[in-house]
Amino acid sequence: MKQPLLALVNLNKYYGDVHVLKDITFTINEGEFLTLLGPSGCGKTTLLRCIAGLERIQSGDILLEGASIKDLAPNKRNVNTVFQNYALFPHLNVYDNIAYGPRMKRSVREAELKQRVAEVLDLVQMSGYEERMPHQLSGGQRQRIAIARALINEPAILLLDEPLGALDLKLRKHMQTELARLQRKTGTTFVYVTHDQEEALNMSDRIVVIDQGEVQQLGTPRDIYNNPANLFVTSFIGDRNIFPVEVLETGAEQAKVRLGENVVQVRSSAAGRAALRAKEEAVLAILMDKMRVSCAEMDNALRGEVVSIHYAGSQIRIEVRVADRILTVVEYQKMECDCQVGDAVFVSWEESGAVLLPMEAGWEERGM
Amino acid sequence: MRTWKRNLLAVPILLWIGLLVGIPMLLVVALSFLSRDHLGNIVYQFTLDNWRKVVDPIYLRVFWNSLLMALLTALITLLVGYPVAYITSNLSPRRRALSLGLIMLPFWISSLLRTYGWMILLGNAGVINNVLMALGLIERPLPMMYKFGTSLVGTAYMLLPFMIVAVFNSVDKLDRSLLEASYDLGASRWKTFFHITIPLTLPGIVGGFTLVFIPALGLYFVSDLLGGGNTVFLGNLIHTLATRGRNRPLAAAFSLGMVALALMVLAFYWKVTKDKTGEGLFQ
Repeated sequence: MKQPLLALVNLNKYYGDVHVLKDITFTINEGEFLTLLGPSGCGKTTLLRCIAGLERIQSGDILLEGASIKDLAPNKRNVNTVFQNYALFPHLNVYDNIAYGPRMKRSVREAELKQRVAEVLDLVQMSGYEERMPHQLSGGQRQRIAIARALINEPAILLLDEPLGALDLKLRKHMQTELARLQRKTGTTFVYVTHDQEEALNMSDRIVVIDQGEVQQLGTPRDIYNNPANLFVTSFIGDRNIFPVEVLETGAEQAKVRLGENVVQVRSSAAGRAALRAKEEAVLAILMDKMRVSCAEMDNALRGEVVSIHYAGSQIRIEVRVADRILTVVEYQKMECDCQVGDAVFVSWEESGAVLLPMEAGWEERGM
Repeated sequence: MRTWKRNLLAVPILLWIGLLVGIPMLLVVALSFLSRDHLGNIVYQFTLDNWRKVVDPIYLRVFWNSLLMALLTALITLLVGYPVAYITSNLSPRRRALSLGLIMLPFWISSLLRTYGWMILLGNAGVINNVLMALGLIERPLPMMYKFGTSLVGTAYMLLPFMIVAVFNSVDKLDRSLLEASYDLGASRWKTFFHITIPLTLPGIVGGFTLVFIPALGLYFVSDLLGGGNTVFLGNLIHTLATRGRNRPLAAAFSLGMVALALMVLAFYWKVTKDKTGEGLFQ
């Protein structure tokens, strides 16, 4: 098997007594777009800084192309960072900012450097801005220069720390496509930190979901969205109804569960299959937009009563009370049945949209 | 209309400055063109004699001494003060407050007393000589008093806090992520210091330089007590002329010469902080 580009091995990091990164272990392949996704304070930025060398780790190892880099100073590591606030040098113009890396490493002659700066400026579509000072640029332009300044060093890995966080929504969408384009064009391995699930799902080849300093799940966006490994991932990614059910029977792929009067067949998660036992409580998570409301009675559906209907542009949000729970159903097309508040309805879902997970202590707090 | 109103608000402060700075200054200018009798009384008779003496090569030596003293003082305080300011700004909030407090502490004691302190330390029968002799490292006391260097040490010591505070304000505002970006791009700590830290804290350096240079021109009591008058500085000369010398018109002319020196430094300060690099820093 091909050697991974970067390997994190049982990496641990403490701030005083606080254990901020717990036994982080995973590998990054050459040329991939990998996203570290998690809520603020989960340790994703700290992990990025550990790879960059801006933070020291207490135990474990970081291997770049098979060689340990954990004791190397940041300036000796073949990785570059795009900082959250861009960190452009305010006293240097665009040209000197971009030329900073090669000049410090004395890797190229001035004549060649000029050529290289022109190339990266072209790459980020900022040609002609050489003489501008950073404070004369807009947020999006600074972003591009920060990327150019990192890319000119041809790093083995480009680390990006929430680079789109300071931009407005429209620009953020545009830069997402732009970053994906840059990554494909240069073939550089990107490690991208964000708390925005949409950004992560849009751009990444693989996503590492992190919470409380631990890796929760690692997989392709599709895999993580459709097969969340645990309750945290379930609640953090995708809009889902999450509620407890009683397990009646367990099968190879499916389980029979009960919510109030309703008994339904659902798909159990990979983790669920091993851990689920009959007569115990489990947690069912169903993607809101994979659910439907019907007026006619049907199999494998929950019977409930419509509590409210909201029309929000292209989507319709219907709240339905089932047993003592309120479930939210999001429909995009015209609704199957023209129900009113107070009507009895049946809530069903696409099989792939639901996942049954083992019960966890404190699931309600983690579940929302 | 609006600017007219806004200007009106500046009237009290302009009055204040005009009354307490402008008028006395004009009096000094007027005085520098007057004569005196043999008892030292001012005679209201126009003369250029005082100004002729100011540009006399013999007295130019005094200007040179003062200029050298002020430049060296600013340089020494910068070399000592920069690391202190830099380290202080990196401390935890509690230790930083403590450090700044200690830097300010000497201001609570009269500067004259502190100068006498240096005499006790450096004198032939002073603390340092006594200790060195007791240890048998030297046989005779090292002559450390009444030299140019003694005045320099005393002046630098007196003005060091001004430099530290000026540099501290600049260093404290320095965005640390810029230093990280520099390391990340392959620069060593030294290269980062010279290419990022120094240029970005230049306003503090120049500000501190000005704050130290100007008082160093006129701190006459330090060189009086520690230098013993062996090197004549502008401050001492003006002091002597105005008191024992009973020649206030000449003292006034030299004072204006000193003001001219200070203005030169201020002009330099304005030029540095207003040019292209300064713009980006002060935005």
